[in-house]
Amino acid sequence: MTEERRIGVYICHCGGNISDYVDVAAVREALKDEPGVVVAETTMFACSDGTQHDMINDIRGQGLDGLVVASCSPKLHQITFRGVSKRADINPYAYTQVNIREQDSWAHGDDPEGATAKAIGLVRAGIAKSRNSSDLVPLVVETTSATMVVGAGIAGLRAAIGLADVGLHVYLVEREPTLGGWVATFGAMFPNDQDGRQQIAHLTEEVAKRPAITVFTNAELVGKSGSFGNYVAEVRINGEPSETIRATVGSIVIATGFDTYEPEAGEFGYGIEGVVTLPEFKAMVDASDGTLTHGGKPVRTIAYIYCVGSRQPAGGNEYCSKYCCAASCHASLEVGKIDPSIHQYHLNRDIRTYGKYELLYTQSREQGSVYMRYPDDTPPTVELTEKGQLTVTTIDALTQSEELAIPADLVVLVTGMVPRANEGLTGLLKLPVGDDGFYNEIHPKLRPVETVVDGVMIAGACQAPKTASESVGSGLAAVAQSAAILKKGVAELDPLVAVVNDAACTGCGECLKGCPYDAIDQTMCDGRTVALIIPSVCKGCGGCVPLCSEDAIDLLGYTDVQMRAMIDSLVEVAVS
Amino acid sequence: MSKVIDPEMLGDMRRFGDLDVSACFSCGTCTAICPLADNDATFPRRIIRLAQVGLKDELLSSKELWTCYHCGLCSDSCPQDADPGEFMAAARRYAVASYDRTGLARILYTRPAIGSVLAVVIAAFFAVFLYSGRGPQNTEEMEFFTFIPDNMIHWTGIAVMVLMAVAGVAGVVTMVRGVARRDGVTFTSLVSGRTALTRTGAALWSALGVESLGQTRYRRDCKDDEPVEPLYRRRWLIHAMAIWGFLGLMVATGLDWGLALIGVKETGTAIPIWYPSRLIGTIAGLMLIYGVMWFMINRATKYNRAASISTGSDWLLLILLMITGVSGFVIEAALYMPNPPSWGYWMFLFHVAIALELMLLLPFTKFAHAIYRPVALFFYSLAGKKVLQDA
Repeated sequence: MTEERRIGVYICHCGGNISDYVDVAAVREALKDEPGVVVAETTMFACSDGTQHDMINDIRGQGLDGLVVASCSPKLHQITFRGVSKRADINPYAYTQVNIREQDSWAHGDDPEGATAKAIGLVRAGIAKSRNSSDLVPLVVETTSATMVVGAGIAGLRAAIGLADVGLHVYLVEREPTLGGWVATFGAMFPNDQDGRQQIAHLTEEVAKRPAITVFTNAELVGKSGSFGNYVAEVRINGEPSETIRATVGSIVIATGFDTYEPEAGEFGYGIEGVVTLPEFKAMVDASDGTLTHGGKPVRTIAYIYCVGSRQPAGGNEYCSKYCCAASCHASLEVGKIDPSIHQYHLNRDIRTYGKYELLYTQSREQGSVYMRYPDDTPPTVELTEKGQLTVTTIDALTQSEELAIPADLVVLVTGMVPRANEGLTGLLKLPVGDDGFYNEIHPKLRPVETVVDGVMIAGACQAPKTASESVGSGLAAVAQSAAILKKGVAELDPLVAVVNDAACTGCGECLKGCPYDAIDQTMCDGRTVALIIPSVCKGCGGCVPLCSEDAIDLLGYTDVQMRAMIDSLVEVAVS
Repeated sequence: MSKVIDPEMLGDMRRFGDLDVSACFSCGTCTAICPLADNDATFPRRIIRLAQVGLKDELLSSKELWTCYHCGLCSDSCPQDADPGEFMAAARRYAVASYDRTGLARILYTRPAIGSVLAVVIAAFFAVFLYSGRGPQNTEEMEFFTFIPDNMIHWTGIAVMVLMAVAGVAGVVTMVRGVARRDGVTFTSLVSGRTALTRTGAALWSALGVESLGQTRYRRDCKDDEPVEPLYRRRWLIHAMAIWGFLGLMVATGLDWGLALIGVKETGTAIPIWYPSRLIGTIAGLMLIYGVMWFMINRATKYNRAASISTGSDWLLLILLMITGVSGFVIEAALYMPNPPSWGYWMFLFHVAIALELMLLLPFTKFAHAIYRPVALFFYSLAGKKVLQDA
């Protein structure tokens, strides 16, 4: 079989990232006569449109049936070149990406000769893998046209309505007794002053109008089984007695939202009477009856301290919470409506009212709010003076770093968003969590709402700090993505899954224990118990392969034959 | 040591002019374009910032307030239309009112109606007071000092001058304390040693001679009057005319008194025009009227940036100066008429009453800049001479 293969090999300069250390011409020279290699080229940028086009021409012109690109990490371009294979009508799984950048040129900049030798070995192994590849076709599963939305905040509610409107059944699961999440607690919100409570009321009305939406409150997702396209979700409805129901759904949209940062005692004076967080302040402003008072006294001067709990040094919350600058500018405008003579000082690290929210910042300044930038390394301090006056001390760069003391009636700590503590759900769905604690998407630009768990999507502020409109936007993106995978009725999955050789399997059950995805079951085959791998659940991690004492499991795309051929190729280099 | 801000300050300042610096984002274009903000000076930008954040003491002790002649270049180039020039003008008004402890300056600036009534009442008071001590009107020959005894004028004048001086000195002391503390200037640093004395002397000369009398930077550096006005109505010239006219009249009065003391002539008698006192007085009076006339025209027609906003205090000063000047000439005319007219005597009474009011109100009106600006220019010059490093 190997003699018949016709493989194209492309070795990338990556500008100079690779070719500055690896002699790519030498790599080509060493491998151009490998068994099965028909085309061997070096290229400045393999990922460029022109080179992709050349590859397709080579595949078609030379009748190639396998492709090897030696360039960067597969994380970057594996999908790119599988796409090239697909467009040239050859099996995309006959493509092998060889990483000679991260794992070679960048790592061995001090040893160009060694790096070149390593590249030759790696590429030779890659060629061996492609040479031993077999044609694989995507798995096709039928899907259930229903979705479960977890979390009925503004993102979840809007997503549920959208899903119902595209013709999917929706199970809307909310942990709290009422719908609406954070937004249901807000009065006027930026950017258009619409009342949060009213917007939620409107959304819940719309939800109620749609029979396709089943709402569970006081409810939590507590179990998930089945596979992509046909998950069986277990929902516990808390109460006396609590009750558990099951629903089969094709996809799950996670919209569990955020928590607000809770400052530590003493952090910017938190704990002192008159020092409040942004949500607490927002509640005060929303509840105002035409005056702003705190502790029974009218508020005449407000000092805001920005970036509390956001943009912290390494180890803390390093991210920007994104919504708080605009929310504070907007809150100051609301205060101005209550009483324009209230003095407002905004102590910031810089104002990030990005996009159209810039206008709020301008309006706020024009209304008389004073913005002062404090140095990153010298944040403001808050204290009570001996006379009991709440005082904020800060450095104002624009007065040539004068240290100012602001006597304030109210200090607003502009607190950011933090990920919600949801260990149960995270563990249940095996959701990927970033260093910051928020859920991670597959690709920030191109696959912004999908997670690595097929059919499980994330929307709203559980993913990252977001404004309400951005949350709704991602909720609707999850709608579109759910529709894209469920409206066809069938779904295609990567065929890179484990398979069992029934004849060799002894039914010992070791692989069942080792599978982290519960993808392995047991079945009867010719009167014997054997392992059965459910392809739609299998992630192709390969964890079961070494567990099998009988070598009865193989991983498609990474078969034992391929692996051995690769090892042999590498050994060959070491000997020579 | 942190400086406590005054959140109410900016709101208070707004009463002194049409200022809206909330739009200012401290880009510094105003400072860059200002022909007077040289070396490492940071006005108007930093002064605006002081007002924005409410650093009242810092603002009131900023000598830079008084270096500005309000050409308006900064306002023309401000990308935020925050009108820094008008801000500086309003800040000066605010400073005058703040240096004055009596509150009178504040009323004259911010309460035009009450200010007008006060102005009339004070003038009427002086007029009635002088009238109460009047003597006969000689119809043969003009004898002003028979009608209003010169002793009475003399001693009333002294009293008014003392009042004015007390108020003026109090204001200057307040200002000097602030500026000196902020700039790190001490009395010792001004007078101890030959170098220090030379430097102090040079700064005094720069403030009083070069700038106040010579109007040097106003004339040379202020990018005023674009497109260039004809010489006769250039802002620096009008201003200089008013100053020189006012000072010239003081010199003429002194000379006249001196001539009377040495017995050359009696005060208040017709003398040939070539007498130095008469000659200087006439020319100076014309100069004063000329300058004040243009100021009034500019303000009435909002002719330029500086004249576009006028407070009661601005008008009060101009009106008092104009009345003093014009009535002086009417008196002079009456003096030379063959038969002394009765209105000449009444005009004299009016003239003296208004002149007394002018003197009395000096520290409280726009006129106060005549004392504060030279003081500030002195410190500015001193700072330019690196006194801070030695102090």
